[in-house]
Amino acid sequence: MTFPHSRNTKSSRAAILRSLLGGVALLAVTASARADEPIPQTEQSDIATLAPWSPHTLLVVDAAYQHGKDGRAYVVDADKGRLLGMVQAAYNPNVVLSPDASHFFVGETTWERGNRGERNDLLAEYESSTLKIVADEKLPSRALVTPKRNNLAISADGSHVYVYQMSPGSAVEVVDTASHKVTQTVDVPGCALIYPWGNSGFSSLCADGTLANVSIGADGKPSMTHSAAFFEPDHDGIFEQSPSVTKDGMAWFISYTGKVYETKLGADAVVSKPWSLQEGAGMKAAPDSSKPFEVTWRPGGWQMSALHKSNHELYVLMHKGPFWSHKDGGSEVWVYDTETHKRVRRMSLPTPSPMVGVTQDDHPLMFTTDEDTGDFYILDAKTGKQVHKMKALGGSLIFTVAPGEG
Amino acid sequence: MLPSEKKQGSMLDRLTESVLRRIAGRTSRRDVLTKVGGAVAAAPAFMLLPVSRADAATAKPRPQSPFAAKAQAKDDLACDYWRYCAIDGNLCTSCGGGTHTCPPGTAPSPTSWIGSCYNPQDGNSYMIAYRDCCGQDSCNEVTCLNTDGDQPSYRPMANNDIIWCFGTGTSEMYNCSTAAVVGKAS
Repeated sequence: MTFPHSRNTKSSRAAILRSLLGGVALLAVTASARADEPIPQTEQSDIATLAPWSPHTLLVVDAAYQHGKDGRAYVVDADKGRLLGMVQAAYNPNVVLSPDASHFFVGETTWERGNRGERNDLLAEYESSTLKIVADEKLPSRALVTPKRNNLAISADGSHVYVYQMSPGSAVEVVDTASHKVTQTVDVPGCALIYPWGNSGFSSLCADGTLANVSIGADGKPSMTHSAAFFEPDHDGIFEQSPSVTKDGMAWFISYTGKVYETKLGADAVVSKPWSLQEGAGMKAAPDSSKPFEVTWRPGGWQMSALHKSNHELYVLMHKGPFWSHKDGGSEVWVYDTETHKRVRRMSLPTPSPMVGVTQDDHPLMFTTDEDTGDFYILDAKTGKQVHKMKALGGSLIFTVAPGEG
Repeated sequence: MLPSEKKQGSMLDRLTESVLRRIAGRTSRRDVLTKVGGAVAAAPAFMLLPVSRADAATAKPRPQSPFAAKAQAKDDLACDYWRYCAIDGNLCTSCGGGTHTCPPGTAPSPTSWIGSCYNPQDGNSYMIAYRDCCGQDSCNEVTCLNTDGDQPSYRPMANNDIIWCFGTGTSEMYNCSTAAVVGKAS
């Protein structure tokens, strides 16, 4: 190695030595910093597989109101606030999770050529670990309505999926999940929605203020009973998104004013005397539609309530507004003990939310959204403290589905 | 079909109609006969009193909701336009259509749900048919969510969540909503 124009050879050599040593040290530091990054090798493409779902793995439904045929369902790890995958869920879609969370079903509607051509109402079944489609059945029809959880339901044992149809008559399609076939379509005239109970029954809310209770017998034949009328839709309707539990058939029907009708669903459904969300919080009960101007705290939003079954806790989105503000998002979540009917917590939300969801474990997480930005908030359900914020997760996040809810 | 603004009857006609409609909605026939009978008997005396004229001049129906109390009758591109009291979705006026006109490339639904909205300009309430325009995906120019009288889908004729695109001859894909006046409600 020669270095031209060196007058002081000795000092030059020392400088070179220092420089070389410095370089070696720098290389060593760099190599150490990149210790986790292997030297690139030729790679093969593969596909991620999801671990069995934890209580904090959930589905988030995005109805994509601005371009409805592009709806989707996201799979989210709520502990990390990360997206694990997604599936398409087109045009006013709906989702249910199997009782063991190993599969989920997406009810969706497509047209053969985008916005035209033959209409396909579909029930797609996905494996939760791979998000591979394992069945893709064509349905007779399904209701096209801004999606509500109770337009699609699954029996406690996962043997039946129920699809609400409105074409325009009201009916419920019963799908056998083993054969993937619609075994029958049960007319529910004057009624809508599905609140499933047990392995072979469901109830619907009706225009006359009653419940229609449908039992599917061992012979596969349906029979229907009606409860007595217990609410007046004109004056104080019941929210369609009221929570229920399939296993024991318990439902908490919440009215626009904030009355809660605890109901044991079944062929002989028993509706209990209602209690008041406001009175449970030490306030005066809210008036019905006869006093439309009175501003007070009221339940409202889209998926405006959620239930933590084992903790006996009812989560309700609340806002201040007049009577016809039932679709206004909640600025707070009020949590009630379903046994004492008292409010046990009150949590302010980062932004008003049209939806609330909650996981079913001992360390529950709560979910809300900002409908203007599509941000998805993951909050501690006991304190309301923010755990994660998934920025702009979707366009129109309308509800969540977490393991163990049914 | 409604008479046009110019062909509307006299103030007294409209007032009489309005009052009778309200009475009819709240009382039995027997009650009506009793009250009308009493009113006829008392009319010669009362009609001469100035107080009854003052009453008549202020007998307009009052707005029945916070939306109605703030509604305007000038800008049909704004969510607070009076006839949008229960509309949910994209205003067709902002999508190339009008208050009762679908944009080109779409088709109106023959069925709809019905709302009742207060017009601050004439003080009457009108039945509004919220017919969807169908066949193209969502237009998304001006989007509103108003809920006066909106009931859940088990009352479908009063629910604004349902895609009212049955029988349009297009796909049931929702583009925007119109708000056609179909009659007087008061």
